[in-house]
Amino acid sequence: MSDPLAARLKQLIVDTLRLEDVAPADIPDNEPLVGGGLSLDSIDALELVVRLEKEFGIKIASSEEARKALASVATLTAYVRERSDPSRLPS
Amino acid sequence: MADSLSPVRVAACGCITPFGEAAATHAALLRGECALKAVPVLGRDGGDAVPLALLPGRTLDETVPPGWLAAVTRLGASIPEGDWGSPEMPVFVTGSNFGIGSLYALRRSGDASFAAWSSPPGCTELLRVALGWGPDVSILSHACVSAHLGLLQATRVIEAGLADEALVLSFDFLSPFVAGGFHSLKILNAEFPAPYRERDSGAIGLGDGAGFAVLSRGRGDWRLAGQSLYNEMNHFTSNRADASGFAHCLEGVVLAAKGRKVWFKGHGTGTLDAGRLEVAAASRAFPGAPIVGWKGSLGHTLGSCGLVELAIAIESAKSALAPGTVGGPGRPMSEAVATGNFGTAAFDGVVCASNAFGGAHAAFLLCND
Repeated sequence: MSDPLAARLKQLIVDTLRLEDVAPADIPDNEPLVGGGLSLDSIDALELVVRLEKEFGIKIASSEEARKALASVATLTAYVRERSDPSRLPS
Repeated sequence: MADSLSPVRVAACGCITPFGEAAATHAALLRGECALKAVPVLGRDGGDAVPLALLPGRTLDETVPPGWLAAVTRLGASIPEGDWGSPEMPVFVTGSNFGIGSLYALRRSGDASFAAWSSPPGCTELLRVALGWGPDVSILSHACVSAHLGLLQATRVIEAGLADEALVLSFDFLSPFVAGGFHSLKILNAEFPAPYRERDSGAIGLGDGAGFAVLSRGRGDWRLAGQSLYNEMNHFTSNRADASGFAHCLEGVVLAAKGRKVWFKGHGTGTLDAGRLEVAAASRAFPGAPIVGWKGSLGHTLGSCGLVELAIAIESAKSALAPGTVGGPGRPMSEAVATGNFGTAAFDGVVCASNAFGGAHAAFLLCND
């Protein structure tokens, strides 16, 4: 059974970056988001950071922290879960 | 006009920073002082506190006329007299963000009085009139290598015999728009910068700054012995991981520096990846050269940094003492990074380098012979 937060984040990635021909379920949990098969670059990463901060009320302090968080869907899920108010997470 | 080509020289130069003019800035850097202070990133609208170095008494929020005008006018008064803005003595005005603060204020407030200052041509025309220049004024901008671009263009004009002397003026003053933009990239954060230091995360600071240089074929104690501009065209915000972008640019001044003992004033904003790449490339190009960066104190003065730091480098050479790398704690990335002040008498040149968004690199070799 898939993690609801991971599923929400995949949907957010597709919506935020307007990824055509990519379905949320196509995004693997453990592959690099930036520089991987999705061909995301640092500008995409910046857009994702802004969206994540707004949607989950978290603060990503530095570019290095953003890079670590965005290593993969799995790392991003753990990062958001650890820092976000539980009331903002999908159940 | 002069009859034959001879090396283009720096006949005069100067700068202003939050510490004051060039000599005062040089002295403050020698003392290890930091001009950066924690300031709300959006000015009166608040936001996170980030390291900014503003001119004394200037607020981040835009005013009419801009709060920086008096400082630039004061700097302009220190430019040697001449028929500036004439075909024989053209002016090159450079910067990376000039006008954007006023444009942002105009957009947000609807106050039409911001309009005249809200573009590079608008700012430049008002400055031209205030400083009494003629019409031969060109505007150049290429992000944070803008000052270098102005120096190179002025050099070419002089070398081509199209002008006797040329004035390059560069300025960049912070605004909520600029600070907010850097903040969104997560590199302008609550930490203060520590250029060329090993840390877990990078951080930069931003600073107000302006500088000028008068280039001449016939006079001046300082010679621009080599200049280089290169754009690696890799990515808007990142460099090639093999440092080849930095290396290609420095190749342009390596030949001019052959046989010389030089020190290296790097870009050194405090970002980790770029800092490592720059140190690696500089160490390969100029083995043994001490590497320093001053943006840990002054902040990154953006498009003006090339001229601001040129003026400080000349103060260092004149006083035979260069400030070491100023900034937060941490282990230097390399033994080549000079963390303390050092004497310059044993050196016969300094390479000054700057980098910019978009993969732009610039460097020049300054010699006093």
